[in-house]
Amino acid sequence: MSVVVRTIARILVPVALLFGGYVILHGHLTPGGGFQGGAVAASAVALLLVAFGTSAVKGLKSPLSVLEDLGGVAFVVLGFLGIGYTFFFNVLAGSGGLFGAPVAPGPNPGYLNTGGTLPPMNWAVGFKVIGGLGAVVVLFALFGGGDDR
Amino acid sequence: MTILAVLQVLILLLIVAGSVLAVGLKDLLASVIALGASSLLLALQFYLLQAPDVAIAEAGVGAALTTAIFVLAIRKTRRKEEE
Amino acid sequence: MRRWIVLAAFLVVAGCLLLGAARMRPFGAPRLALMDRYFNAFSQGEAATNNVVTAIVFDYRGYDTLGEATVLFTAVVGVALILRRIRR
Repeated sequence: MSVVVRTIARILVPVALLFGGYVILHGHLTPGGGFQGGAVAASAVALLLVAFGTSAVKGLKSPLSVLEDLGGVAFVVLGFLGIGYTFFFNVLAGSGGLFGAPVAPGPNPGYLNTGGTLPPMNWAVGFKVIGGLGAVVVLFALFGGGDDR
Repeated sequence: MTILAVLQVLILLLIVAGSVLAVGLKDLLASVIALGASSLLLALQFYLLQAPDVAIAEAGVGAALTTAIFVLAIRKTRRKEEE
Repeated sequence: MRRWIVLAAFLVVAGCLLLGAARMRPFGAPRLALMDRYFNAFSQGEAATNNVVTAIVFDYRGYDTLGEATVLFTAVVGVALILRRIRR
């Protein structure tokens, strides 16, 4: 791609990654969550690919696949945490420990240390979606020998 | 209220126009761009209907990733549609 | 002939959509609001989070999210299997 596209991509890729990370990390407070933030961060991978060609993302295939597998395994393990009650029971909510601060009913400003198992599940699904969608885009680009244009 | 309703109707008409362009155009790259623009306007419509979760997902998947995958597929194949 | 079938299908689908739009309830006032009221009242205490949508997606309806993760995993595996041969 041209110099204009490369320059804009150098600015926009960190911004997109930062916004995706924000949406994932604040998934239990603001709109969005693991899937939305992961899709935004994966669009940064797609922008990198479109702007800098296939050679820039050739090394990303294996890390993205491993990230997808780790996210899926972490999600199922977090679901099994509540197996004493039911599958996907929120064991950490209101327990006072990590992410266990209780939430007062009604409008409040929102605190990061709440949510129980929801924030780790958001991270797991976020990693899974970044890895999955990014790996799909990179695999499409690598098919048939990447010809940069 | 009325300004918002007029804006929503305008956005819906633009979505329909973008979809018709995406089906009708013979240049596949322009067709994909029309589809992406239609998807982005759909995300704006979701946001105006107070569904920000769906709006972020639609803007990320529909407007960015689908367009990127279609552009990659067109780069690997032909650009013009043949009758 | 084919053009008439397409026109008939278009008219039926458009008529159904317009009928549904004409009979729609006003915005923000659904017909059944029992679960809405329950989630709005109790999700902050039960799931300890402010975002009711996240509480539903990851806590009350966790199986749906597990199925969605399975769909994504299956899509990635399918793409990796079909496009696995990389020349050069």
